[in-house]
Amino acid sequence: MTNLNAVDPAAVAEEAHLEGHEVVINKSTIILRRFLRNKTAVAGLIVFVALTIFSFIGGFFTEWDKSKIDPFSIGMAPSSDHFFGTSQAGIDLYAQMVEGTRVSILIGLVVGLVSVLVAAVYGCTMAYFGGKVDKVMLFFLEALIMMPALLVVAVATNGGGGGSFKQALPSWLLLTIVLLVFSWMGTARLIRSMSMSLMSRDFVKAAQFMGVPARRIVWRHLVPNIGSLLVLDITRGVTAAILAEVTFSFIGIGIKVPDVSLGVLIGGATSQVQTYPWMFWVPLGAMFLLTGSLAMMNDGLRDAFDPSSSSVGKAKKKKKSTS
Amino acid sequence: MFRYLAKRGITYVFMIFLTTSAGYLLAVSTLKPALLEQERIPRPTPEQVVNSLSLKGLNPELNPWERYVDWLTGIVTRWDWGRSPNGAFINAEFGDRVWISTRLFLASIILTLVIGVALGVYSAARQYKFSDRAITAYSYLAYIVPAPIAYFLVQLAAININDTLGKRVFFVTGISTPGMDPGWAQFVDMVAHYAVPTIAITLVGWGSYQIAQRQYLLDNVNADFVRTARAKGLTRNQAISRHALRVSFIPVAQSIAFTIPAIFAGGFFAEKIFAWPGVGSWSIDAISQQDVNAATATLAYGSVIFAIGAILADFATTLVDPRVRVQ
Amino acid sequence: MSRETSPEPSESLPVSAVAASPVGRSTAERLHVAGLHAPGDAVLSVRDLNVRFNSENGVVHAVRGVDFDLLPGKTLGIVGESGSGKSVTSMAIMGLLPETAEVNGSVLLKGKELLGLSDKAMCKYRGKELAMVFQDPLSSLTPVYTVGNQIVEALTVHNPTMSKQAKEVRAAELLGMVGIPSPKDRLKAFPHEFSGGMRQRVMIAIAIANNPRVLIADEPTTALDVTIQAQVLEVLQKAQDETGAAVVMITHDLGVVAGIADDILVMYAGKPVEAGVVDDIYYNPRMPYTMGLLGAVPRVDISEKSSLIPIEGMPPNLVHTPTGCSFAPRCPLAGPECLTGEPPLRKVPGSSAHQAACVKAEALGGDVDVHDIFHAPPVPVSNFAGIPREDRKTVLELRDVKKHFPLMKGALLKRRIGTVKAVDGLSFDIREGECFAIVGESGSGKTTTLLEIMEFHKDQDGEVVIGGLSNKEAADSKTKFAMRKEMQMVFQDPTGALDPRFTVYEVLAEPLVNQGMGKSDIKKRIMELMRLVGLQPDHVNRFPNQFSGGQRQRIGIARALAVNPKLVVLDEPVSALDVSVQAGVINLLDKLRAELGLSYLMVAHDLAVVRHISDRVAVMYLGKIVEVGEVGRVFDNPRHPYTRALLSAIPVPDPEVERNRERIILEGDLPTPLDAPTGCNFVTRCPVYAALPEAKKQKCLTEEPPLEMISASRAAAQLEAETSTALDQRFACFFPDGDLDQSSLVSHASAGPHAP
Ligand SMILES: Nc1ncnc2c1ncn2[C@@H]1O[C@H](COP(=O)(O)OP(=O)(O)O)[C@@H](O)[C@H]1O
Ligand code: SF4
Ligand code: SF4
Ligand SMILES: [Mg+2]
Repeated sequence: MTNLNAVDPAAVAEEAHLEGHEVVINKSTIILRRFLRNKTAVAGLIVFVALTIFSFIGGFFTEWDKSKIDPFSIGMAPSSDHFFGTSQAGIDLYAQMVEGTRVSILIGLVVGLVSVLVAAVYGCTMAYFGGKVDKVMLFFLEALIMMPALLVVAVATNGGGGGSFKQALPSWLLLTIVLLVFSWMGTARLIRSMSMSLMSRDFVKAAQFMGVPARRIVWRHLVPNIGSLLVLDITRGVTAAILAEVTFSFIGIGIKVPDVSLGVLIGGATSQVQTYPWMFWVPLGAMFLLTGSLAMMNDGLRDAFDPSSSSVGKAKKKKKSTS
Repeated sequence: MFRYLAKRGITYVFMIFLTTSAGYLLAVSTLKPALLEQERIPRPTPEQVVNSLSLKGLNPELNPWERYVDWLTGIVTRWDWGRSPNGAFINAEFGDRVWISTRLFLASIILTLVIGVALGVYSAARQYKFSDRAITAYSYLAYIVPAPIAYFLVQLAAININDTLGKRVFFVTGISTPGMDPGWAQFVDMVAHYAVPTIAITLVGWGSYQIAQRQYLLDNVNADFVRTARAKGLTRNQAISRHALRVSFIPVAQSIAFTIPAIFAGGFFAEKIFAWPGVGSWSIDAISQQDVNAATATLAYGSVIFAIGAILADFATTLVDPRVRVQ
Repeated sequence: MSRETSPEPSESLPVSAVAASPVGRSTAERLHVAGLHAPGDAVLSVRDLNVRFNSENGVVHAVRGVDFDLLPGKTLGIVGESGSGKSVTSMAIMGLLPETAEVNGSVLLKGKELLGLSDKAMCKYRGKELAMVFQDPLSSLTPVYTVGNQIVEALTVHNPTMSKQAKEVRAAELLGMVGIPSPKDRLKAFPHEFSGGMRQRVMIAIAIANNPRVLIADEPTTALDVTIQAQVLEVLQKAQDETGAAVVMITHDLGVVAGIADDILVMYAGKPVEAGVVDDIYYNPRMPYTMGLLGAVPRVDISEKSSLIPIEGMPPNLVHTPTGCSFAPRCPLAGPECLTGEPPLRKVPGSSAHQAACVKAEALGGDVDVHDIFHAPPVPVSNFAGIPREDRKTVLELRDVKKHFPLMKGALLKRRIGTVKAVDGLSFDIREGECFAIVGESGSGKTTTLLEIMEFHKDQDGEVVIGGLSNKEAADSKTKFAMRKEMQMVFQDPTGALDPRFTVYEVLAEPLVNQGMGKSDIKKRIMELMRLVGLQPDHVNRFPNQFSGGQRQRIGIARALAVNPKLVVLDEPVSALDVSVQAGVINLLDKLRAELGLSYLMVAHDLAVVRHISDRVAVMYLGKIVEVGEVGRVFDNPRHPYTRALLSAIPVPDPEVERNRERIILEGDLPTPLDAPTGCNFVTRCPVYAALPEAKKQKCLTEEPPLEMISASRAAAQLEAETSTALDQRFACFFPDGDLDQSSLVSHASAGPHAP
């Protein structure tokens, strides 16, 4: 119904009437308010922040650390001594969890943030220059997509020594780097197509015809308009990186002992699910909380950014109640 | 159409060449089979190690570029992908394993696609009803579980079933029981081996299809052309199933490009978890064996799969969308 | 919530009507509400139709008590600004509203109640008795099925027993009927292979496939070019003649329905505010809103220059029930008596069928001048008015500008299969204070011309001189910067031209900051600009989406004026706006030109707008100017057959004129530039050429007519004799004033039912 979707002057007038008196400039306030209105998203945010805090200060609540063996409680179920129990070797799971969660979150945040940054720069460059530059950069990008990331990760983290970076870097940093290399392409492609369509919009043309320099057009018109996409991609990227870390470490090609991460903990416990179930389920639960909370936040952010979605949200509820 | 595919094909061949070369150079500079050889008992002298590796074309004393040239010459002139440190020929090994992998994935890919799309359509039709919410929630859940963990959980469940029933219904590892008589028994054995991995891959895989298909269909149910169809005298449901559905397949077809490689990647984990001697588990073993040639071959295989996925996607898109048909 | 007016005493009631109507009203009233006709004769009678939507802000009462009767074979025009509830009304009749909509009232199709039927039950009528053509032909056909397939489907639904061959034959017949050449082959084509006009024809073919009794067309030509609009209207009328269907024609443009409607229903804020036979509405309007709508339409056939009637303000928000006349906030005649209760639709004295919902209806009528009522601004006079054209400075000159695009084909190795001559040797100049318009169908190269001018660089083919600066001499960044100050642009789509994330302040500040202006100066200038374009200065902190389309276009104009340019390039500045809003923007442009001494280069496809605002006009066809000259001359005495066709395609908001007008309907669409003929570009569609004797045809086929002044016609010679200077009119045709091919002429002189 083309017609019905057109701007409704009445609604515009209404909006203007409602918001006209105070000065409505601050878009971020509106977005924040919408985000906060979304209960799932807020719950996700709370869980995520709680986990992050836990991973940074959780260590103060226990005397154990990940290398200390408690010879009196080997393979013990959770108790007041060891909140999450101990491993077969008598190492406190709580202490390991604090460290593992921190590593996973850090990898996720670093990869999520940096890859979106790289993607934004790469995608905008492609869109802005177009032509040959675009073609070559696109080819490189697709070639990278074609590389089976999994194997490259395995090769990089399994190199039998001699390999320069293997020794110099801890395995979590190595994994972070490799994940970074392979995580930005999808976003870059998205940003490219989005900026390209923005470039052909009339308001960009208007700025060009006014003689506004290219640099300023990119900064003032392109970047703010893809901003919401970038924020969404950061949460998505963080989730994906955490999942990738767990995946790779789980099958033994990501982070290696003695480093600890959620993936290492989950993977290491697979053989003992029956005997020491807490060793498996506790880190798995933490991972779910982490990725789940991020997914919930992502959902809420998408709603908050999408100007039409708030009405959709209400319509949904209405429909539900009537049907 | 043919020319178009040919053009794409050539581009992809070039890309495969690049990624494989890059992979080889990375592998050859990080994987050091000599170190492993030296841990043998009795411990060989460094000269012995060099000699034995050189015989297999893996001379560690050449620099990476020289080895790359040798390796490439072998492939281009003789289609010889080299040998493993243990002396096995890559070509032979690869042939066996590709079959095993392909058998495992084919069923999963088809099931994933069919179930995902069907559930997507179903849930879109019952938007906001309980079944829609349940199905979609499941899909989101599948999205936040790493594939190997999901496979592991399915494996656990299968073991539990076996335990509860007190007999071995499912095999949770391996591809077949050796020494079976051909015929019915062998078929049952095969099904028992295939069931768990196939179910595991499918269960994890369909989620993204369901979400995508549901979304695309919902995007189209209020399209102008659906309204036209209703104005002709079709009921809403008829109009949606005849018009919106077909159009909503277009983006799904395009996404095949990325899902086939994804399922294959999932297959790598599946082989590892279910102990199937396919390309995936081989590649991971190869890397821990510091086997440069095998690692590169599997990497090349991965790229080929991607290219096949992309071409299939082009093909599928052409099939459902007349607008992109090249005359 | 709905109106409750029952001024006349009850009489005996026909049973069906009572049962259907929730509010018990009298037959007499219903009769007069519906026009003259007894409901028994009507194919479609709508009574007290109300539609409500649940929205975020509350219940939107989108349609509030629509009544009408539609007689077999007749045409009802429903007119109103966008948002007045026209589309919702038509969808409610078709039963196509979303389930969430609450629909009340009665819709009787040949005496059977349609409201309340299930989707399934409705399907018996939809597409068979009731058919509909929608506004946007580009999205209304399913992209993945062939055109034939989609027509056949319409047949299958209602004739399950029909054989496959029979259906195919019928589909081809239908395609032929709506004027698609070689219909048999075209059945296999996909929608994307058709132009917009052709897709709309297909839509009509689908709609008439089962000989419907009622055909509803919701703005079927709004998205189309004028020439194509004329074709499609023609096809619709032909379809109506073939099927004998009654037609409901929905539009926001009173010009479109003047010639084809028998009755008119004017809607405002979801309510009918005036109804009557077509002549009553056009010649004797009794409701200020209708008068405003009529005064807002510029006319292509009259050169008299008076300001258009803008209806200021916006339609009311339908969430709140109006307490008085819903038009009162915008009505220049509104008084306290208008605010006590909504005026009902009442019979206008002296006419049996004419009703208006206005307390002052009696005082209004044909003899009242709308300009007085609406306080139309006086026609602005420019400083340049007295100065002859030759003595004014040239602000823009184009000399033989060309833009050719290579057309590539082939997948693996691209090869050049031809050249698209988007702009092919354009020369013209614009003087100070002048408005120069370029008109033509879409695809004729208008926009490319503008972009070439805005480009302004050395390697262009041809010379562009802006304010004395030539692209050939100096196109360094400094010259370019100076050039940008001389010339600014206003875009067609007011929404797309404003960054949604900029406040109006930021939008207007951008060019000023770019010119290096200081902060306080910028602020002052912006306030000045806001006032200049008629916006409230304290709205500068709002975002574009808080403004209506017309206001957004004003912002675009303000931005263009920010740096005080001499020349403003206007790309279809009003084509995205409703007529009533369009009038305000046109008046503003007129005023600014006079006050600021601006020159305009305007691209438009609506010749009526061009006539109103322009001094000179160039008609473009396939990259070339085919006729150029002073507006009055070109429009009153068009010499090129294409100009003649374009002009005859513009509807005039005057039923009398429309009914007696002969219309030239061009064959087909603009040819693809690749098939551009060797001789005269226009030869493939030229109605003069078609009527030429074989011997003369050869000339058109082989030689390219030059653009020059030929005093071939006696009239022109006479005119020239009268005036001292040479006539400002040149054209590119060997046979100006040639006889037209009879088959391309359409006249509806006899069709007018109310013809005197
Ligand atoms: N599905 C819907 N939900 C809410 N409001 C709607 C819906 N459809 C139409 N409206 C509102 O109904 C009013 C009339 O719209 P419409 O019939 O499209 O006007 P017109 O066709 O005259 O331009 C508008 O205010 C519009 O916003
Ligand atoms: S009733 Fe009053 S406000 Fe309404 S149209 Fe008539 S004069 Fe204007
Ligand atoms: S030159 Fe011939 S074909 Fe061209 S417009 Fe004139 S009459 Fe028509
Ligand atoms: Mg409408």
